[in-house]
Amino acid sequence: MNETNHHQRNTLILGVGNLLLKDEGVGIHTIRALEKETLPSHVRLMDGGTGGLHLLSWLDGYDPIIMIDATLDNNPPGTVRLIRPRFATDFPPLMSAHEIGLRDMIEAMILTGKLPEIHLIVISVGSINEVNMELTPEVEAAIPYVVQTVKGLVCHSRLPHPSP
Amino acid sequence: MSERVVIDPITRIEGHLRVEVEIEGGKIKDAFSSGTMVRGIENIVRDRDPRDAWVFVGRVCGVCTSIHSLCSVRAVENALNISVPPNAEMVRNIMQAVLFMHDHTVHFYQLHALDWVDVVSALKADPKAAALMAQQLSPWAKNTEGYFTETQNKLKKFVASGQLGIFANGYWGHPAYKLTPEQNLIATVHYLDALEWQKEVVKVHAVFGGKNPHPNFLVGGMPCSIDMNEANSINSDRLSLVKQKLQQAKEFIDQVYIPDLMMIANVYKDEWTKIGGGVRNYLSYGDFPLHGYDSVDHYFLPRGVVLDRDLSKVHPIDANSSEEIQEFIYHSWYNYTQGNKAGLHPYEGETNLNYTGPKPPYKLLDVEDKYSWIKTPRWKGQPMEVGPLARMIVAYAAGKEPQKTAIDNALQQLGLPPEALFSTLGRTAARGLETQLVANWALKFFDQLMKNLENGDSRMANPIMWENENWPKQAKGVGLTEAPRGALAHFVVIENNRVKNYQMVVPTTWNASPRDENGVLSAYESSLLGTPMHNPNQPLEILRTIHSFDPCLACAVHLYDEEGKYVHQIDTF
Repeated sequence: MNETNHHQRNTLILGVGNLLLKDEGVGIHTIRALEKETLPSHVRLMDGGTGGLHLLSWLDGYDPIIMIDATLDNNPPGTVRLIRPRFATDFPPLMSAHEIGLRDMIEAMILTGKLPEIHLIVISVGSINEVNMELTPEVEAAIPYVVQTVKGLVCHSRLPHPSP
Repeated sequence: MSERVVIDPITRIEGHLRVEVEIEGGKIKDAFSSGTMVRGIENIVRDRDPRDAWVFVGRVCGVCTSIHSLCSVRAVENALNISVPPNAEMVRNIMQAVLFMHDHTVHFYQLHALDWVDVVSALKADPKAAALMAQQLSPWAKNTEGYFTETQNKLKKFVASGQLGIFANGYWGHPAYKLTPEQNLIATVHYLDALEWQKEVVKVHAVFGGKNPHPNFLVGGMPCSIDMNEANSINSDRLSLVKQKLQQAKEFIDQVYIPDLMMIANVYKDEWTKIGGGVRNYLSYGDFPLHGYDSVDHYFLPRGVVLDRDLSKVHPIDANSSEEIQEFIYHSWYNYTQGNKAGLHPYEGETNLNYTGPKPPYKLLDVEDKYSWIKTPRWKGQPMEVGPLARMIVAYAAGKEPQKTAIDNALQQLGLPPEALFSTLGRTAARGLETQLVANWALKFFDQLMKNLENGDSRMANPIMWENENWPKQAKGVGLTEAPRGALAHFVVIENNRVKNYQMVVPTTWNASPRDENGVLSAYESSLLGTPMHNPNQPLEILRTIHSFDPCLACAVHLYDEEGKYVHQIDTF
């Protein structure tokens, strides 16, 4: 997120969510876990917080972008799914409790003609009905798997490497 | 027999606001605004170090990012009698000005314009005629036939795809849309330009605050060091980037936002300056200090209250007085230990949840009883509107420049009397005029910062009270700010170096709150009364007025599923 970390054709891993709402912050918790890992030099990590349109400027030039967010679907808490949304309507229900969510961001990217390849990792949440900064055990337990999924995407050629 | 219409959610950005209106004879007879959420932020900072509170409250919202953090450090500085160095004041002003410019412009185009602009009609426009018309309104270099044609083709593709929510969900073709196809095309092209523009201006937050959203703040100053020749500091390169972004922002506001606003206002002025006024009282805490937070007389946005639309008098505000600001819960899902009718000053504020509403999914709220998670704030017992219109009206009544001239000029250009301000369109216009003023001020703040630096003053923080061994055993303070959406206050009570109580009274609480014990309506509810409705199933008129307030309930939490249905109630914290 630092202004100087802005390079062309790098892979971005963007975690979003509200840290104050327990599992809603799982995207940010995952970024923190990834900070302890060794990742290829073309990979950038970003704690996107609750920001929607504010984030757009920091996404410019990154391709692909791996987004990580919480979802409140009917799956058991801690379920991790990797999806490839192509349209805003492909997003699973309820990406976030914050204003202007990922979906609006994707719409804005489509409108401005700058939609990169997007991979979305969603983690089904248990409790978001408390103001608290801890994850529930089920969701906490999913983080190593999310970290492995991300590493699989960026380290094992399952995503194109940046052009030289 | 009246008919009840429910709009839920009503915010164009993800919604937490529900409005129920009763329609009789084609007009709104009564209105109920409900925040179907609860905010538990106060409890998360309790028992923490007050110097850390800004980090937590800053995460309340991604739209009003930074302003809650500013409000928080001001509250703690107020409690501990800390004044910040002039450089920190200017950096805060610049960041806040950027927030205003970003937020107001994004609100106008992305969140409100489509209430006035029919995108589908824009597809029928003659791009050449539209470009000619736009060139007469503004010198903006991109108003060309080629660019309008290209963008119109892009739009046709979007609309045909049906994939984009923003274009799929409008009430296109509604007879309340009055712009010509060419005017619709101008505004829609600029809608897309605004999306591109908004990405740039927020970079200023990252320069000074280290990152964005949620830039860093500091009790006692700002956490950035400026050294013109140091690569790792904010140096001359960074500062020239800031200046460039501020100039570009001003250019867009002057040449795109304001001409579009005036074009739209001119078409809708006959009808929409007569409705939507709502409560007759306006409150502004004021902001943008020039000589310190305590020198309120030097604020660019003045502080005060205008009562009963009387522009001849501005009443002073004492936020610390328990007689002035009080929050009531008569129609809100809370308990007070002193009973249902008590009004509490935020220092004594309580947040005990007491949900008595219907079990979701429900059809209608029980509006005779409690019906909202928003408390009802009152100033000396009276409902207040807050926001850009309130700020402009308080400034106008105070005879404050440049606000007064800006308002007079706009009224003259549209051929309207000052009373036209008290309306839906007045609110939307006030936001634009304010944005233009703030764009000028941002450059002033920047020049002032540079002047200080050139004079050899590089101080950015006042460390005197940083160590908590110097703190009093007990202290309390209030931080007052103007968020883009209106008056924002944080109240902090500190005991034994920890936060004992923390309360936030946010702008949307003033505007969106339920009626009080005496049945006196707050701003949203009141603004809807008497509004004619063309078709209750397409409540465009309600959206126009509610959106004119720039509703934002993210300082709250409530979740809807994709279809906009209620899925989850935050029921405890």
